[in-house]
Amino acid sequence: MIKHESIEKNVSLMIVFTLVAIAIGGLVEIVPLFFIKSTIEPVKGMRAYTPLELKGRDIYIREGCYNCHSQMVRPLRDEAARYGHYSLAAESMYDHPFQWGSKRTGPDLARIGGKYSNHWHLAHMEAPRSVVPESVMPAYPWLRKTDLKYDDIEKRMQVLSMVGVPYTAEQIANAKKDLLDQASATADASGLTKRYGNKVPKDDFDAQSDRVTELDALVAYLQMLGTLVDFSSYQAQTR
Amino acid sequence: MADLKDGKTTGHQWDEEEGFPLQEYNNPLPRWWLYSFYATVVWAVIYWVLYPAWPLADGFTKGVWEWSMYKELKQDLDAVAVKQKPFNDRLEKLSLKEIASDNALLQFAVSGGKAVFGDYCAPCHGGGGVGVKAGGFPTLADDDWLFGGDLETIRETITNGRSGQMPAHLKSAGGAFSDAQVDDLTQYVLSLSGKSKDAAAAARGDTLFRGEAACNSCHGDKGDGSLKGTLAGGALPPVGAPNLTDAIWLYGGDVQTVRESIAKGRTGHMPAWGNESASRKLSPLQIKQLTLYVHSLGGGK
Ligand code: HEC
Ligand code: HEC
Ligand code: HEC
Repeated sequence: MIKHESIEKNVSLMIVFTLVAIAIGGLVEIVPLFFIKSTIEPVKGMRAYTPLELKGRDIYIREGCYNCHSQMVRPLRDEAARYGHYSLAAESMYDHPFQWGSKRTGPDLARIGGKYSNHWHLAHMEAPRSVVPESVMPAYPWLRKTDLKYDDIEKRMQVLSMVGVPYTAEQIANAKKDLLDQASATADASGLTKRYGNKVPKDDFDAQSDRVTELDALVAYLQMLGTLVDFSSYQAQTR
Repeated sequence: MADLKDGKTTGHQWDEEEGFPLQEYNNPLPRWWLYSFYATVVWAVIYWVLYPAWPLADGFTKGVWEWSMYKELKQDLDAVAVKQKPFNDRLEKLSLKEIASDNALLQFAVSGGKAVFGDYCAPCHGGGGVGVKAGGFPTLADDDWLFGGDLETIRETITNGRSGQMPAHLKSAGGAFSDAQVDDLTQYVLSLSGKSKDAAAAARGDTLFRGEAACNSCHGDKGDGSLKGTLAGGALPPVGAPNLTDAIWLYGGDVQTVRESIAKGRTGHMPAWGNESASRKLSPLQIKQLTLYVHSLGGGK
């Protein structure tokens, strides 16, 4: 057997063994990533985020909502009763980075979409305790007062398509138009629904028809969460 | 430093400074620690055999027990379903009225409804349906109803949702009336609950209410919301226009809020929970339980 001492005293041998140890660790972590596709369930309905939702997601991350909210319904009985179907890997397929989180000061938000009206989200983001008296969530009143900055939206989409989000050239070319259409209650949204499907939540989310604010984007994002996968077509695999 | 000479060091000497050789101890690990360590190694191997462990090209090793969280969830849900079956079967079969007249069964249904209400309804209607501070969300614990407080209407509300459509009236908000006219209408609405301080304006508003503005087509001739479900002889979906003559306000009864309601309009939205458009679908059984719970809150008719 090789003695401790002979490794410690022999620099070349030490380097060789160190490399071997790191290589094993690296392989165990990296190799499964090449097969990650096989762990994502084939489901109907997943689509890339619309430009407005993408912006909303950026605000969600900027404001640190993930510090109190997870987006991952675990396969446990109480969570099934409270939040609905457990989260699928496919549902965070286009998240870079994903928002699973592990801290739940507030409820899980993976399936918040459609649970409340836009009006409720408005009231809640403005003053959480006006609707949930015992809430400890901070108020975010500035979101409704801050115009959304979206001049970089095409670039954001291009970068995401480099890491595998399937944005088409048409979606990128129409990004600004789609963003404005989604944040309006009255605009013609035929282009938006053609490109992203007819389930896209579309409204004047912040109830200020003359401007597009950060709150428009955030509420659009929240109202989409968990609504994409068509669970009537999903067969739970035996896994 | 005495035991330095006992041969317990590695034998290697790095340095010597003023007579002190810099040497390294070579103490063996404590036995208990070593054996615990071996035990964990053995346990890891056993774990690989029993439980899901190693990733493979197209999946992972499933383990001889074939345990999975998904299976465990299904077992848990099935176990609860079996326990509640005797009750649930009866709830499913019986009509709302029949359940309401069976005290034990009603208790079971109401407590089930209460649990669901806490998660899905309380954020808008307040715990126990007592309402919230923000405007636009009705209290369910009183007997002032927009759409109706009988069992069937409540079930219909929960299943298909409701959308209040109060049009905007001020010109600049897309309506057809001037600032002064909206002020008059505001005074008239306030006068209905005895709160107007400007009788002349209220009188002008009175004429508008049943005339040019046709508020009465939704709120009723007396403004008491009595038309709730009967617009166009029931051919149109009910509008849920509130009673303007009582002290219960959906958005608020101060001058400013009433004026804002009339000027800009209101679009209260109650999500659907039981039809195709519902994004959080509740089962017909859950909706039955909710209906009985809401009905029990005090205002049931
Ligand atoms: C300090 C922790 C905290 C932070 C940060 C926080 N929240 Fe919350 N959130 C809560 C708590 C607690 C609740 C539950 C009470 C309530 O509804 O307000 C909640 C509730 C919610 C709900 C309603 C969930 C449900 O199912 O009823 C939404 C939506 C939400 N938060 C969105 C956000 C967004 C968006 C952000 C970031 C802008 C955010 N929260 C930041 C603590 C937090
Ligand atoms: C997003 C907020 C929201 C949620 C969540 C919500 N409601 Fe409502 N609900 C409303 C609003 C707003 C109205 C009034 C609709 C209108 O303005 O026309 C309403 C109306 C109602 C009414 C009719 C009241 C009347 O006076 O006729 C009932 C009954 C009701 N809700 C029950 C429920 C139940 C049960 C749940 C839970 C499954 C629920 N609501 C969840 C917002 C909500
Ligand atoms: C198309 C039907 C319709 C017409 C016409 C209409 N209303 Fe309404 N009104 C509603 C509905 C529905 C609501 C409740 C809004 C909601 O659910 O968000 C409402 C709400 C209100 C409120 C708020 C009540 C509260 O409790 O906070 C006031 C005030 C009001 N209406 C006054 C008027 C006046 C004055 C007119 C005429 C100028 C008028 N409405 C015309 C349907 C109508």
